[in-house]
Amino acid sequence: MRLRPPRLRSIFTSFVMVFLYAPIVTVIVYSVNKDPLLIHWEGFTTRWYKQAFNDPTVRQDVVTTLKVAALSTAISLTIAVTAALWARRASHRWRRAFDGLTYSRIVLPEVVFALGLLVLLGKLHVPFGVGAIVLGHVVFNSAYATVIIQARLATLNETLEEAAADLGASRWRAFRRVTMPLLLPAVIVAGLLIVSFSFDDVIVSQFLGGNNAQPVSVLILGMIHLHVTPEVNAIGSGLMLITLLTFSTAGLITVLWPTGAGQFLGLGGRAAE
Amino acid sequence: MTADVGNGSAVSARADSPRRGLRARLGRAAHHLLALPSVGWTVLFFLAPLAILLLYSFGTQNLLTFQVQFGWTLSNYTGIFQSLYIKPILRSFELSLFATLACLVIGFPVAYTIARARRRSQAILLLMVMIPFWTSFVVRTYGIYNLVSYNGPLYQLLHALGLVHGYLHVLFTPIGVGIGIVYTYLPLMILPLFVSLERIDPALLEAAPDLGATPTRTFRRVILPLAVPGIFAGCILVAIPATGEYVIPVILGGGKTLMFGNVVSDQFLNLGDYPFGAAMSVALTFALLIVLMVLRSRSYKAEQRIT
Repeated sequence: MRLRPPRLRSIFTSFVMVFLYAPIVTVIVYSVNKDPLLIHWEGFTTRWYKQAFNDPTVRQDVVTTLKVAALSTAISLTIAVTAALWARRASHRWRRAFDGLTYSRIVLPEVVFALGLLVLLGKLHVPFGVGAIVLGHVVFNSAYATVIIQARLATLNETLEEAAADLGASRWRAFRRVTMPLLLPAVIVAGLLIVSFSFDDVIVSQFLGGNNAQPVSVLILGMIHLHVTPEVNAIGSGLMLITLLTFSTAGLITVLWPTGAGQFLGLGGRAAE
Repeated sequence: MTADVGNGSAVSARADSPRRGLRARLGRAAHHLLALPSVGWTVLFFLAPLAILLLYSFGTQNLLTFQVQFGWTLSNYTGIFQSLYIKPILRSFELSLFATLACLVIGFPVAYTIARARRRSQAILLLMVMIPFWTSFVVRTYGIYNLVSYNGPLYQLLHALGLVHGYLHVLFTPIGVGIGIVYTYLPLMILPLFVSLERIDPALLEAAPDLGATPTRTFRRVILPLAVPGIFAGCILVAIPATGEYVIPVILGGGKTLMFGNVVSDQFLNLGDYPFGAAMSVALTFALLIVLMVLRSRSYKAEQRIT
């Protein structure tokens, strides 16, 4: 092959890549910039990280975020696994209705159902806070998890479970010893994905947290709104690192094991082939 | 599942064949219990809230007591068109349309470059597109806020190049919100485009110029028609969430450039006009459903044409 000068579209692609990373880089650079007004680069500091770490509001909000994520992930995964097991044996018509419910939880704008839930919980006098946020997060998180686990379950052959049953295993035992181990990578990946969705969610978390609970994502939004301090860059960098870690772990597992999560990680094309 | 185990011990003394029949029937009934958590949660915390909104949207509110009276009035819906909210609503569709087109125009060459790259660099480039997508969405939007702020890095770059004098007026304008939407959803456009472009047989791309087609003609007659499913998939993934976007206008619109999602939530959170807000949410949902159905039927037809 003859050598060609870089094509126009290669140059363009490089520019787009710069565009994709520039905002992320500014947050990270600002988080270690000594200049409290964030106008010039005045040298490296870890001051903003220390400040964020010692901030009682930040600490409290991190705890809130972790509580919400842990509860909503546990409930979502339980719902998703049981639902996927049901859907596998359900009749075609029931399954279509079920899939419709699952996809509408993903497609409908979050702001609409969050407001509906706000009105409903207000009517029922359910206090806003961690519990209310979890109710909302599970709605969309369980839908994502169901799609992933269903996709994996569809690729599993039922002969192994039938063999287990023929050999005298109870249904529960067959599930625990045969189905669950095969499903585990998909469950882990679904868990990692929805943990990051929980961390990153703003709408449900803001509307249903009320004055009682404020996750980190809502804290960041509030800090930007009031007055941008260097501290917010440090908190933001922390949140980016965590979401990136959970997502890339999920991506790695998906590449190594079949999990059915490809479509949510942008690995759809590869997984389909 | 626990029902199944209990059943096993209760009938264990019986003869073999009736035990199996009973077990099978109870097993089938127990099997439907598996759907209960999912369906129950969806009905209580997804369908019921939507039903309440639908119900409220036909009701009226007592201005003194703030109590909602149910009824069958359409005034909340007609009110949408007469209100000062029609401007941000139209802006939502405008911004979403322009952002989707911008994502397509920017994303296509990138997806094509990635699709034609060698195996190794292809994986790296795809990963580079995915990593921002895997990074916190709130923080990335805040990153755009940093980037386009009055004296931020973009201003300093443009100023150094002599392209801008005075301050940069992007933040808190529709352009700022548009940049945020394009930035956030660009990976969602690139990926489906890549998938459809990568499927194109390289032999076709070599055959076209051999048969005398100019690059423009090859693009128009070979590449573009084969990329249509990816184009529609990308447009759905960008246009639907972009129209209902709430967070990006909050951060980059600064309370001035609002979109549909913001004016809807404002009715509930600040103004307390539930019936009107409910009518707007129902309208938003239906608008999105229509966009989705049109795009899906088009993409289905396009897919049929190719295969």
